[in-house]
Amino acid sequence: MRRLGSLSQEQIVFGLAVTLCVVFALTLPGFLTTNNILNLVRSVSILGILGVAMGLVVIGRGIDLSLVALMAISVASTLQLISTGLPLPQALVLGLGFSLATGLINGFLVAYVEIPAIFATLAMGTAIYGFGRYFMFNLDVIYFTPGAEALRWLGDGTVLGIPAPIVVFALVCAIAHLFLRYTKAGGYLRAVGDNYAAARITGVPARPMILTQYMIAAMIGFVAGLVTAASVASMNTRVANSTYVYDVILVVVLGGIGLSGGRGAVRNIVVGTLLIGVLLNGMTIMDIQYTVQNIIKGVILLTAIVIDTILNPRDEQTAQQGDI
Amino acid sequence: MTPLLELRNGTKAYRGVPAVSDVTFTLEPGEVHALLGENGAGKSTLTKMLAGVVAPTSGEIFLAGQKVTLTTPSDALAHGIAMVYQETSLVPSLTVAQNIYLSDDRTFHRLRGLYIAGQQFLQSLNFNVDPTALVEALGAGQKQMVEIARAVHHNAKVIIFDEPTATLTPEEKYQFFALVERLRDRGVSIIFISHALEEALEISDRVTILRDGQHVLTARTAELDREKIVRAMVGRSLTDQLYGDSHDRKVRSAGRKVLSVQNLSMGKIVRNTSFSVFSGQVTGVFGLIGSGRTEAAKVVSGVMKRDVFHGGQVRLDGRPVRYRVPRPAVRDGIIYVTEDRKLEGFFETMSIAENIYMGAMAGGQTKSATISMGEMRRIATEWTEALSVRAINNDARVIELSGGNQQKVVVAKALVQKPKLVIFDEPTRGVDVGAIAEIHQLINRLADDGVAVMVISSYLPEILHISDRILVCRQGRIVEEFVGTQADEETIMYAAVH
Repeated sequence: MRRLGSLSQEQIVFGLAVTLCVVFALTLPGFLTTNNILNLVRSVSILGILGVAMGLVVIGRGIDLSLVALMAISVASTLQLISTGLPLPQALVLGLGFSLATGLINGFLVAYVEIPAIFATLAMGTAIYGFGRYFMFNLDVIYFTPGAEALRWLGDGTVLGIPAPIVVFALVCAIAHLFLRYTKAGGYLRAVGDNYAAARITGVPARPMILTQYMIAAMIGFVAGLVTAASVASMNTRVANSTYVYDVILVVVLGGIGLSGGRGAVRNIVVGTLLIGVLLNGMTIMDIQYTVQNIIKGVILLTAIVIDTILNPRDEQTAQQGDI
Repeated sequence: MTPLLELRNGTKAYRGVPAVSDVTFTLEPGEVHALLGENGAGKSTLTKMLAGVVAPTSGEIFLAGQKVTLTTPSDALAHGIAMVYQETSLVPSLTVAQNIYLSDDRTFHRLRGLYIAGQQFLQSLNFNVDPTALVEALGAGQKQMVEIARAVHHNAKVIIFDEPTATLTPEEKYQFFALVERLRDRGVSIIFISHALEEALEISDRVTILRDGQHVLTARTAELDREKIVRAMVGRSLTDQLYGDSHDRKVRSAGRKVLSVQNLSMGKIVRNTSFSVFSGQVTGVFGLIGSGRTEAAKVVSGVMKRDVFHGGQVRLDGRPVRYRVPRPAVRDGIIYVTEDRKLEGFFETMSIAENIYMGAMAGGQTKSATISMGEMRRIATEWTEALSVRAINNDARVIELSGGNQQKVVVAKALVQKPKLVIFDEPTRGVDVGAIAEIHQLINRLADDGVAVMVISSYLPEILHISDRILVCRQGRIVEEFVGTQADEETIMYAAVH
């Protein structure tokens, strides 16, 4: 049941993105310029990086709702530490350490305490945000201080004319792809997501693998946070309380990574990201109201999930586990 | 006298395969009728037809001489036929009285009236259950009483029980029998499915025995005894052709003792069981469903979570081991091949090659931390050829294969791990006849190569055909041991039932 007619969901979405591109190019002046295209990809590259993080967890039959909170708080903490005079490398190590520790707790709660991922990470997201606001800083927005200037390249720099966020996105995709397809751990991750019980019986280290997948997501989340902060020279921690994490899930599901686990690859995330990028960009050029944009996004997410359910029906076992 | 309920020439086929074929079954008013047979004999299917859960493929149902069509369970209930399942269908968060009157309008208002009515009703049945108690707080026996009360409340003239005593303690069983008597005195007819022959002999008026979906005999209980029932349950015709006579083959002698289990207990299912498995030999384990054979194997191989571990010792090659997860067991060479390949056997999004390679990686047969496509193809080809897996190529997805070929892939995934001890749990369930023979050959080859092989099966001909040594499991423990060629179906079944 993977195919609708002869098309996979990924192909449908890719076709849709191309169609939208063509329609926008014909109807919207200024859409099909190099500048706008670079701008388009650049604007969704952070979403794409987060999509890779979320995608890896979803392929492992989990979900990480704490991803955005984790990104905001770990990077904001890093900036705060820099502003108090800590050198950049040390601050980065601490920020990454905080991020990994959070991923470790997420993974521990899901794999060993056996709490459904959706609840564990939801609660963790709230806890991380509270922790950051209480212990690390008092303001919603943490600005860059001179000590952090070196990071600005991640937002402003270019490589051969390509903006750095796009380069980072491409790199993250490439590494994630190699990991998923060509390493033993990546194979284990897909096995655990495909069929947890079978993976366990086969001798796959199932619980350590779940732990690892949340830690990898946390690490990628930290990178996404650095790019976010570098682009605007600050970290707005209010994003932790926004619906941004659902946009990330939208990208993952839209690209055709089944919520039932095991299915999908990095290219699905790229395709999902492109469609969202084209859509948001087009809607912005058309000057569609933000609230209306939300309606459109919501409808698309629902449609994607319905298609996912039809193409990848979840078995009874999954339903009983109560996870998503 | 017209029978109260009659199924005339009932056949039920699933995808063309008959689970029950041409069975005629009658139930007299006010009788207790026991339905016996092996696992898969068609008992459940027969009763489900009578209770409107499944529709017969052909055949007719008559209620008090009138032809009826039962399309849903509520249809059957409206005709006075109720079925009580092993897993109760009660709502745990509601009270006893609310559950009894669940489908009536008065359930959720006038609680006081509900409890008074419930109290009187339960007393009239002589059931000692508090109508205001929450169902989740009740024991298994009391839950059953509530189910029965609900059935009686709906004016059930026929109550069908599916293995009513399987989950009950001896004390609760005794109460259940008393309750059946009371129901009979009220004129209710009862059908009950059971694996426990003694119970059937004790409380039933008549017995019907099914085998391989066919009716074997119906007789008054007084005319039967244990021996006659066992013989009727296992007598075979069809299967002899498939397996031939297994008595003239040579029995392999025991090699070294690979696995030794002593006084293993786990939850309510595995009770103080002890057994050994030797290398170079096939040890068959026979037991009815619920006898704890699968659970014992899963404890040994670390598959079952050990929250309810009650003690005992497992030794591998003389060394005490205790596995909490399967991975160390796999690394030590104990491989469990599951009875449910779809649920916990293979990876459905992956190809044949990937499935087998996953076994090799997890078993530590590949050294590198990366996936080598060449190595994957080589290993996959080696094993699909050895097991003659039939597929277009090794990139085909396992989910697209036939049951037999799926099973072979699951077996290949296990054998690639170079096991010392393989535990096959129902290795030929849902597998076509040709593949059954191939899987049996493979099992024999493994034993000839010196591997310790344990085969769990609830199919007697398979056990007799394949085993050098036969262990019989009953109520959570190994109770008898036979030499493969010296046992026959009747002696084994005799040991397995209680």
